[in-house]
Amino acid sequence: MNHFLELEGVDYQLWLSRCKQGYRLHLGDEVTAPIDFCHQGDGCGILTVAGAKEPVRFAIDGDTIHLHIRGRTSVLRYRDPLSTLALAEKHAGHLVARAPMPGVVVATSVLPGEVIAAGTALMVVESMKLETVIRSSQNGVVERVHFKEGESFEQDAVLVTLSAEGH
Amino acid sequence: MRKLPFDTVLIANRGEIAIRIIKTLRELELRSAIVYHDLDAGTPAVSMADVAIPISGRTPVAAYLDSAQIIAAAHEVNAGAIHPGYGFLSENAEFARKVLEAGIVFIGPTPENIELMGDKIRARKFVQRNGFPVAPSAIEEDDPATFISRARSIGAPLLVKPSAGGGGKGMRIVRDLDALEHAIVQARSEAQRYFGDARLYVERYVEKPRHIEVQVLGDSFGNVIHLFERECSVQRRFQKVIEEAPSPALSPQLRKKICETAVDIARAANYRNAGTVEFIFDGSGFYFLEMNTRLQVEHPVTEMITGIDLVAEQVYVTGSHELRLSQSDIVLAGHAIEARVYAEAPARGFAPTTGKVLVLDYPGSPGVRIDSGILQGQQITTAFDSMLAKVIVHSPTRTEAALKAERAMQELVLLGCETNTSFLARVLADEQFLSGQVHTGYLDENPHLAAGEFASDLTAFLAAAALLTRPVRDSADAVPELHASLGSWRN
Repeated sequence: MNHFLELEGVDYQLWLSRCKQGYRLHLGDEVTAPIDFCHQGDGCGILTVAGAKEPVRFAIDGDTIHLHIRGRTSVLRYRDPLSTLALAEKHAGHLVARAPMPGVVVATSVLPGEVIAAGTALMVVESMKLETVIRSSQNGVVERVHFKEGESFEQDAVLVTLSAEGH
Repeated sequence: MRKLPFDTVLIANRGEIAIRIIKTLRELELRSAIVYHDLDAGTPAVSMADVAIPISGRTPVAAYLDSAQIIAAAHEVNAGAIHPGYGFLSENAEFARKVLEAGIVFIGPTPENIELMGDKIRARKFVQRNGFPVAPSAIEEDDPATFISRARSIGAPLLVKPSAGGGGKGMRIVRDLDALEHAIVQARSEAQRYFGDARLYVERYVEKPRHIEVQVLGDSFGNVIHLFERECSVQRRFQKVIEEAPSPALSPQLRKKICETAVDIARAANYRNAGTVEFIFDGSGFYFLEMNTRLQVEHPVTEMITGIDLVAEQVYVTGSHELRLSQSDIVLAGHAIEARVYAEAPARGFAPTTGKVLVLDYPGSPGVRIDSGILQGQQITTAFDSMLAKVIVHSPTRTEAALKAERAMQELVLLGCETNTSFLARVLADEQFLSGQVHTGYLDENPHLAAGEFASDLTAFLAAAALLTRPVRDSADAVPELHASLGSWRN
């Protein structure tokens, strides 16, 4: 069956099949040369791709796979298809302004119930020593402001929920 | 070392700099004490200190800014001296004065030195009055009513800066004079929040400027020496990323001139202890930028090329001793590069990242020094600065140092919190960096360095992740029989 792995915001649809030398990775229409992974204990292992061996450092935290290969680090997320669907359902009919990065709220500029146009400033946030104005990408009605002045938030946190105008 | 008038030093700081100070105190056979906020309990700095005293605050940062609690902690452990590290209270003249009034030695310059150099406007005026070069500027408090028109008359591009500033906070470049007033409003708001002081000044922004700074050391007998320069031109948003010593931009004649100018400025200011005179270098001439009255984050590159422990010298001159080094003792050997490991995502505009350090493995090659404040298992939050560690390398030549630093960045394994190590490795291998042709706008002009490039490694990452993900591997292992009976059931 197909699985989804997310890497840097892109979902890769893939599956593995067995073969004599281990596995093959099926990625879209492509099928890789044989691959295999041999654990060496405590977050270390050897990845074999077409007979070539690469040392790998890894850490698995729930659905998140942290990898260090060829001198670079990356984080991949295994997407359970069911939870991905549930999340989309929950936000149906709502528009949300998310935090582009972790930070602190400097000022909130709108109140629940307010009718706003695209481009309206929703919030002033501070991150990395700089102030950034979070603006609405669309017209709508402010449903909820999730953070107060002085509160801190993580990346991707929902800052303001809007309902589409006319709903 | 001669006898010091104290046997315990309290460190009013945290993280890597606290550890770095403790290491020297141990070598000097002094007892180390540290204050810590609850969020830092269990961090290596707190475990390494001989004694640790908890402090609290409305926010974690506020705890480290609470001079009353820190001085009380010093009394509690009979600390005869306080080392402020960098950041926090290190450049707060009022704190230095309170420490002295409490009968405790302040390991740093005099409150008067901090006051003079801490106020950027006063420092510029002082330096200019003493005949040293500064960039054309307009200072708000000279006449607030005409500030904007005076700023306009300097001509674009301009740099708007908070008078009380430092570390790039609240600074804005204005290339179009129509945007000047807006930039002033935003810079003022940031200045007020960061420094409690909304005063600004505007100066001519030098295009393609190089940031070159000189390390100085002074004692209370009027002796001042320099430990050569550092170049810190590789910056993002005014935040230093890679520093090196010596600067590849200076000829021996210019090196001598800039280092001697720094010594003369420090001497004119009666400067005591370690300090850094920062200059903007435009390729031929240099302007005084500011003086930092503390140990700098990037001080290790100076230590590598001179072999001198700056913290030990700080402690020594604070103990009312004359400098034990003369200028001729300071010899420049080889080339050192420091790369700052930040919890950040270069590809997403250097946004800070958070997470738990699941795996941490530092490179251990010869000539590589790691100044780190974190441990495996530690939670990285946005409560403090996002710098996690510094990797410093020393080699005979700049080319070798860059290669060693690049390798160290690739060998460093930190899983659980995204960092900038791949980005640093790309910069260290970039042709422009290797040719020494960098300036403070270099990273902005080369966004491909931050963006990274995944294509060649994509299959390896997806293959490893797929094989390490149970549901993916399990369904492959279950398929052979199923697959046979279901035919092309996929899709």
